[in-house]
Amino acid sequence: MNLRPLYMLLAIVLVLWVLIPIFLIATLAFSDRASVFAWPKGLLPQQFSLETISFFFGVEGVWKAIRNSLVVAAMTLVFSVLLGAPAGYALARYRFAGADAYRLLILMTRAFPLAILAIPLAVQFINLGIYDTAFGVALVHTALALPFAVLVTSSLFLGIPKELEEAAWTLGCNRIQAFLRVVLPLALPGLAATAIFAFVISWNEVFAATLLTLRERTLPAFLLTSLNDSPLPFRFAGGFFLIVPALVFIFIIRRYLFTLWGIANR
Amino acid sequence: MASIRVENIEKTFGKFKALSGVSLEVRDQEFVVLLGPSGCGKTTLLRIIAGLEQADKGRVWIGDRDVTELPPRARKIAMVFQNYAVFPHLTVFENIAFGLRMQKASPEKLKANVERAAALMHIENLLERYPAQLSGGQRQRVAVARALAVEPEVLLMDEPLSNLDALLRLEMRAELKRLLAESRTTTLYVTHDQVEAMSLADRIAVMNAGRVVQYDQPMKVYQEPANTFVGGFIGSPPMNFLRLPVEGRQAKIESLTLDLPTPVSGPEVLLGVRPEDLEAHTVQQPQTFPAEVLVVEPLGPHLLLTLSFGKQHIKATVPPNFEVRAGQTLWLRPQPDRLRWLDPSSGQALMMR
Repeated sequence: MNLRPLYMLLAIVLVLWVLIPIFLIATLAFSDRASVFAWPKGLLPQQFSLETISFFFGVEGVWKAIRNSLVVAAMTLVFSVLLGAPAGYALARYRFAGADAYRLLILMTRAFPLAILAIPLAVQFINLGIYDTAFGVALVHTALALPFAVLVTSSLFLGIPKELEEAAWTLGCNRIQAFLRVVLPLALPGLAATAIFAFVISWNEVFAATLLTLRERTLPAFLLTSLNDSPLPFRFAGGFFLIVPALVFIFIIRRYLFTLWGIANR
Repeated sequence: MASIRVENIEKTFGKFKALSGVSLEVRDQEFVVLLGPSGCGKTTLLRIIAGLEQADKGRVWIGDRDVTELPPRARKIAMVFQNYAVFPHLTVFENIAFGLRMQKASPEKLKANVERAAALMHIENLLERYPAQLSGGQRQRVAVARALAVEPEVLLMDEPLSNLDALLRLEMRAELKRLLAESRTTTLYVTHDQVEAMSLADRIAVMNAGRVVQYDQPMKVYQEPANTFVGGFIGSPPMNFLRLPVEGRQAKIESLTLDLPTPVSGPEVLLGVRPEDLEAHTVQQPQTFPAEVLVVEPLGPHLLLTLSFGKQHIKATVPPNFEVRAGQTLWLRPQPDRLRWLDPSSGQALMMR
């Protein structure tokens, strides 16, 4: 039996399922107020206007939330790479007892529901004095991004032949020099992709950010709490600003994400 | 320039004993090939000498320095890897200069050494290229030039030609031989290719199952194998081994009697004879024994015959114009000065007295 048409149909449905909302959000974010409220909405973009967008940026707290989101995402990026890359390197290069269990365990952390963790975490954060700070949110986001950072960098380092490092050792490098002069330059594009991915995870994360902040909201947390009692144009513009950076970044690093999935399937 | 000496090296990977007590000495300026089947421990031994692997027991000397505990960078060695290990993010020039930069060589020396090494390997015109723009053979040249540029005391090569196609391998083999004869660097070279070993080596160390079973000049190893393993591994087709009855100090092949060089205690002895050392005749001659032709394979320079002698099979090579067909009986005369006598139970060669 030929399943190909069925697969094609399924693929088209899935693609439309994802693309139509994004398309609507994007077109309406750049339309004037009248067409945002219009019903039924035309499928084609209405007349182009920055009215909705400028209204969005005019709302109090938006700029602060964007700034918070950027700070949290940047911290998450730095922590994830600094912690994840050495772990990935160790997984790729050293055979140690429990390496396979460790690899699995890293993924298991993603299976642990954040909802259960959230309340104890909030209590701990209050005790430690990092509740409602960008640093506190960044720590949680790092915990979320770290499994990906470890697995992506591990497959990245696996792709760099060990002989290159060994050749550097025989040519006068110690281990650190060999890493800096040979491995790091070759790993750089992949490390950049890992960093961007950590950034995107943090940028999109809403649950922990909502629970662990009150005034220092990140953009998703800010939008979540204010969305229900906001006018429609605000929702479209906000949605647009949540989706687009993530989409752009994911598109840039998609090649590295495939290698991650290749590893995860093994 | 320096000698290499390893003493009683032992190495175990998990339950697998890779090296069981290997001792070996490479003289200053000598070219020694470690030859053996895969898994015999030859690459492990090379990596232990390079410092990339730590031996469980035993010591390594380079010149008069005990380098056993030293990291690779302090051993004054250079290594050429099977997959070249040329740095893809650096130009050919920077690849060759890598070791010199680590030594903090002066700009003049750096430039001079790189250019000399590049000239030796005929890659002067590729210096600005990146490895991705090079062919496999050119990358191998870069790898060798990079190793030579640091003027190492010893050069270690791990199957450097095995990733090249057959024609290129032949060319590079001759070139390596010329090059290393010129540079006079002490070299230890690992290969599983017996032709490569024969053609390049001053001496061959034949390894099997974690031991050096014979260490001698190529022609000695070829003509006087220490045991049945060496005789079978080196030479294509391999050496014939015939199990023969012993009578006093003579061994008998049908009507042919051959003098044994030394008394044999058992009732049988093993005769090792190379296929090209059997002279074939179509009619009976003195000093011959009969064998029936099973297969005739024309190989170009000669015909390869498979013959049966009783229940044993013999390989023999004859000139290409020799008239022979399957089923025919030939009379074979072993060259008396090319015979090798071995103990049938241990497979070891009998001591000559």
